[in-house]
Amino acid sequence: MSVISLREKEARFGWKLVLPTVILISLLILYPVIYNIYLSFFEVSISDAPNKFVGLKNYSEILKDISFWKSFGITILFTFTTVLGSILLGLGVALLMNREFPGRNIVRALLLLPYVTPLIAIVFAWRYIFLPIDGPLMQFLANFGMNPGNDFVNNPNNAFWVVSVFNIWRNFPFVYLMILSRLQSIPTDYYEAAEIDGASDWQKFLHITLPELYFVIASVALLRGIWNFYKFDEVYLMSKFANTLPVYIYEKAFSGIPEQGVAAAIATILFVIMISLIGLYVKKVLKW
Amino acid sequence: MVKKKSFIRSFIFWTLIAILVVFITYPFAWMISVSFRYDTDAFEPGIIPERPTLDTYAILLGFKKSVREELSNEQQQLLDLVKSLPEEQQKAVLEQIESQRKKESFPFLRFFRNSLILAGLSALVSLILSIFGAYAFSRIDFKGRGIIQRGVLIVYLFGGTILAVPLYQIFVKIGLTSTGFSSAIALFIIYIVQTIPVSLYMLGNYFRTIPKSIEEAAIIDGSSRMGVITKIIIPLSLPAIITVYIYAFMIAWNEFLFASIFVRPFPEFYTLPLGLNEIFNSEHAIWAKMMAASVVTAVPVVVMFMMMEKYLTGGLTAGGVKE
Repeated sequence: MSVISLREKEARFGWKLVLPTVILISLLILYPVIYNIYLSFFEVSISDAPNKFVGLKNYSEILKDISFWKSFGITILFTFTTVLGSILLGLGVALLMNREFPGRNIVRALLLLPYVTPLIAIVFAWRYIFLPIDGPLMQFLANFGMNPGNDFVNNPNNAFWVVSVFNIWRNFPFVYLMILSRLQSIPTDYYEAAEIDGASDWQKFLHITLPELYFVIASVALLRGIWNFYKFDEVYLMSKFANTLPVYIYEKAFSGIPEQGVAAAIATILFVIMISLIGLYVKKVLKW
Repeated sequence: MVKKKSFIRSFIFWTLIAILVVFITYPFAWMISVSFRYDTDAFEPGIIPERPTLDTYAILLGFKKSVREELSNEQQQLLDLVKSLPEEQQKAVLEQIESQRKKESFPFLRFFRNSLILAGLSALVSLILSIFGAYAFSRIDFKGRGIIQRGVLIVYLFGGTILAVPLYQIFVKIGLTSTGFSSAIALFIIYIVQTIPVSLYMLGNYFRTIPKSIEEAAIIDGSSRMGVITKIIIPLSLPAIITVYIYAFMIAWNEFLFASIFVRPFPEFYTLPLGLNEIFNSEHAIWAKMMAASVVTAVPVVVMFMMMEKYLTGGLTAGGVKE
């Protein structure tokens, strides 16, 4: 009897400890997600007037909107490009950094810089180097025959590439850290055994390193995919002209004449796509 | 033969390292270089400034008054903006804006202070809540623990993009968006929630590495669970706690989306990301100031991060990934 009550007492104590967190997360994350779906069926008023129920009108309007489909395509391309780019670069750098060399500690510290520097600080530096005519990177590229008058950042046709390269540059250190910590835990006897069998470096990489890294890479791809699919600030601050869906939602909801119901509908679509993709991915790639 | 191969190899290796270092540091190098120039010299070619100066930093940090040349230009712009208002209102608005503008044309210190308070306090609250939550997750058996733990992880998947509209509506409804101060409170609450999942996860991982036997001994000696947390767990995991605090601080320090939604109408409450972006988009030819502001914004965070880097063990890295 007393044992049970002691257990119960413990359980109650545990609940008390997590309760504030649970309440906050329910009120400010779970509830809003549901409320967002609810709002997507309304013409949301920005004054005191009540919201007007419009059924599926917001959705049908969006699906007919060409600029939505364009943003959608850009978002998919952006996610794909940045995930692939940051993984390839992160993997390459992790392989480089996986050996001892003089100055390694300095390079290691430098590698963290893109990831830990506050976004707002680094965004201006990037916009500076990409400035047409005067920007140092544009000046430099002019040596290779590129027209320095190109405005990459403010041209909707090119903005996508600047934003993608920026995202890869900023986030590959995260991928590199994850891959490196896995690399360092691969037992060296695997490689020794392979060497005895006469395997080349490439074969060792292909048959030992890569399979060992499969799960880290797949998980990192999932995380980066989710985050980049939603990515707002890095894209918006770098260039407003790289119309990804999060930027599209933001502009619909908070600039000009706000259409928050429409924005909510887009957010809901984004959410549903994300959840299904994650489900599929977890099943097929991670095989959970 | 073997030697030759290894020479080529190490040549390629060092070339790659050099390219990597340039790739990483290129924007930083320019940022620092331009921050030591006058605004008018911002586009002098060459990475070493020809007329290096600390002027911009001095102005930014309030040691020196700036000569405000753009003021008349700006007045013109503002004048255009308020033309649509009735005349009397126009005057009042203009006067107010003007007097404020003259006092501080680049209120960097105010942005800095706002961000420091907001990020500092929300990270602190988030940390305290997470210490208790993470302890419950890692040590106490109770019904629903698994679900809550997984629920917190799922929160990783909900980006701000999806929460922006409903959160804005919620805070409008409860009337927290009407004044600058209440909007800042809204931000404060949002930042706490945004940082809790990471903090919980990282701390939970760390607490599991502390041997249970230490706690059991204390409990046998008559210590309460609360006593165990404050007298054993917290002192033993101090490095992890500091790391988590810095992480949460960084998230709030970086946050732009919600700041731009909630405090945009209230310049007094601008955070660094919002304030700098607004200035950047409203004025021209202030590159040196922008770069100096960037350096000052980045340095505290980068220094803190480098100091805690040695504590970034595998588990912490794995947890510290929320954006």
